[in-house]
Amino acid sequence: MRKEMLTGNASAAWGVRLAEVDYIPVYPITPQTEIIETLARWISDGVMDSRFVTMDSEHSMLTAAGSASATGARAFTATSSQGLLYGFEMLYAVAGWRVPLVMVNVSRGLSSPITLEPDHNDVLAARDTGFLQIHCETCQEVLDSILMAYRLAEDKRVLLPIIVNLDGFYLSFTREPVEVPDVERVRNFLPLYQPKHAFFKASQPMAQSAAVLGGSSYSYFKYQMHMASQNALAVYKEVCEEFETRFGRNYDTFEGYMLEDADYVLVMTNSFSTLGKAAVNNARERGINAGLLRLRLVRPFPVADLKAAITGKRAVAVIDQNISIGKGGILHSEIASCLYNEKHRPLLLSFIAGLGGKNISPDEFEFIFNKMIVGVDTGEVETTQLLYTEKEWQEMGRLKGMAGKG
Amino acid sequence: MYRLRFHGRGGQGARVASKVLGTAAFLDGYYAQDFPLYGAERRGAPVAASTRISEEPIMERGVIPEPDIVIVMDETLLQDPLTMPVSGLKQGGIVLINTAHSPAEAKAEYKITAQVLTLDITKIGLDMLGMPILSTLAGGVAARIVGLSEESLKDAVKKVLSEIITDRKLLDKNVAAALYCFNAITPAKIEIKLKTIGTTKKKSTVISLPFEHAAVSSPAINATGNTPLRMTGNWRVFRPVWNYDSCTRCMICVARCPDGCILVNEDDYPYTDYDNCKGCLICIEECPTNSLGKVREVHA
Repeated sequence: MRKEMLTGNASAAWGVRLAEVDYIPVYPITPQTEIIETLARWISDGVMDSRFVTMDSEHSMLTAAGSASATGARAFTATSSQGLLYGFEMLYAVAGWRVPLVMVNVSRGLSSPITLEPDHNDVLAARDTGFLQIHCETCQEVLDSILMAYRLAEDKRVLLPIIVNLDGFYLSFTREPVEVPDVERVRNFLPLYQPKHAFFKASQPMAQSAAVLGGSSYSYFKYQMHMASQNALAVYKEVCEEFETRFGRNYDTFEGYMLEDADYVLVMTNSFSTLGKAAVNNARERGINAGLLRLRLVRPFPVADLKAAITGKRAVAVIDQNISIGKGGILHSEIASCLYNEKHRPLLLSFIAGLGGKNISPDEFEFIFNKMIVGVDTGEVETTQLLYTEKEWQEMGRLKGMAGKG
Repeated sequence: MYRLRFHGRGGQGARVASKVLGTAAFLDGYYAQDFPLYGAERRGAPVAASTRISEEPIMERGVIPEPDIVIVMDETLLQDPLTMPVSGLKQGGIVLINTAHSPAEAKAEYKITAQVLTLDITKIGLDMLGMPILSTLAGGVAARIVGLSEESLKDAVKKVLSEIITDRKLLDKNVAAALYCFNAITPAKIEIKLKTIGTTKKKSTVISLPFEHAAVSSPAINATGNTPLRMTGNWRVFRPVWNYDSCTRCMICVARCPDGCILVNEDDYPYTDYDNCKGCLICIEECPTNSLGKVREVHA
């Protein structure tokens, strides 16, 4: 075991190397490409024993990865943003095959206009596909989550593919100390995949993904996927417990930061949560009983855990780094739906922030805490609000001038 | 409300039949609904199409599980375990079968308890249109059974066909054939008073679906392939027959058969695998010595 300075992308590559993946079909896209370049170099250098194939598109890449998984190989692939969308129909198809593919998505905002920086509209577009989703805050978490993802996906109570998500630039290209476990210890945690339901054997042919006509059989298959995803909640806890025993790092479905005694709670995901934690520290210094809940497991949605963590709080502000155009924050809707029937549900506020990697300043966090406090005093909650500063508005004015829209 | 189901094979015209009936009902001032339901879009594949006709606004959509009337445009479907055209037919409902059989023969042959009407629609199509297309003809039969007007049927055939064919003569032939079929079913033959057909609502119980492991619940099929067991030759209209006196054993028919259904016997003469030949008759077109002829298939 050793600690190294690694980027989020290098951490992802290390996770794949330690998981001793058999097959890696790839297609490059910023800010993910460093993952597959790292794997390609290792394979070329002979330190990693996997089959690496460059494909003609993300659609082919996902098809190849899912198909390999259906032959019983341990497969990996990675993409981001437009690439994820280009392969989108195969996300549903591969999940329907019930194969334990693990894919990394490096979050990046979606066109138009085009951007390279992160928000979560890409990965959350995949939330209904059947892929489970683990969202990461740190580079260490990226490496660890890939190992956990294979354990979870390959469990016979689950057998669904998983997306491990990390933010582009803020994690993908950001180096920080990461502990790289020894491969022997990983093997004890993640044994060889032994497929029982989808494998390739010439003497035992099978037809994968049969066509069904009629809603009854279609409903059966789709709902079985939902139940397998629900099963993953309990399996995830087992996997976390064993991971902690072996490696000493604890990951639950969510991470609470000063959450237990908090009255005013921020809900965030991914790398920007670090900024939220700093804001909680600042708020505590000002005498506000602040806390933060960082959602880690986004699919399956840990309804019971969230209910237990949030009910009884005075106010909760969901900071969505995404926007469902015409509705608002995606996670706000999801959290609202799981609190609706609770007697002691908190006031629930909704903010959109960090789109296209836009920074969230300490002042903006302060604005949120003030809104929560005022909301509790008056009992009134405003509709979804974008966090946008006056300075940014002025800068936008300058850009409009340059674009001839003065 | 009358609920009708047409059962045919891709290319026979079940969908158009349902449209002709729906349009005729609409022109007669009824509320109407018609729609097809098909799987593989290929000639010969089972197709169902439905029409609802009502004096009140129709508060139903989708498949008709319990029809009042079933029109069987291809009688080989009666023996197809996946299609089961008569399934769900209401007590006291009517089945019209396109067949050369008499109603009594058909009832016995296919073990149908409901009232059966028969008409050799294929023969009428061949005689009047020169081809085994049954769409407007089946529409005409159905229009008579539900008691629509001759005038609306005529207009409906024109309206529906003018959207899909431009041949004016063929359109007129279709109008004539539809009317011929309309009048071939005399009201006296219909024993059932349609309005007396009751509903047979079956109770449904909602259950909680149990979880099953992916070994069971993934859409994979582990059983050995069984496609060869499904004979595909039963929906032929014509069967190709050889005249070995002029056959030169050139084997062009063997090469041209799109389904590989022409085999060669011990004397090197070609012969048809009638279990799977679909009657496309390409072999007749291709035979350079005109040694192939066709005979109408009549299920007896």
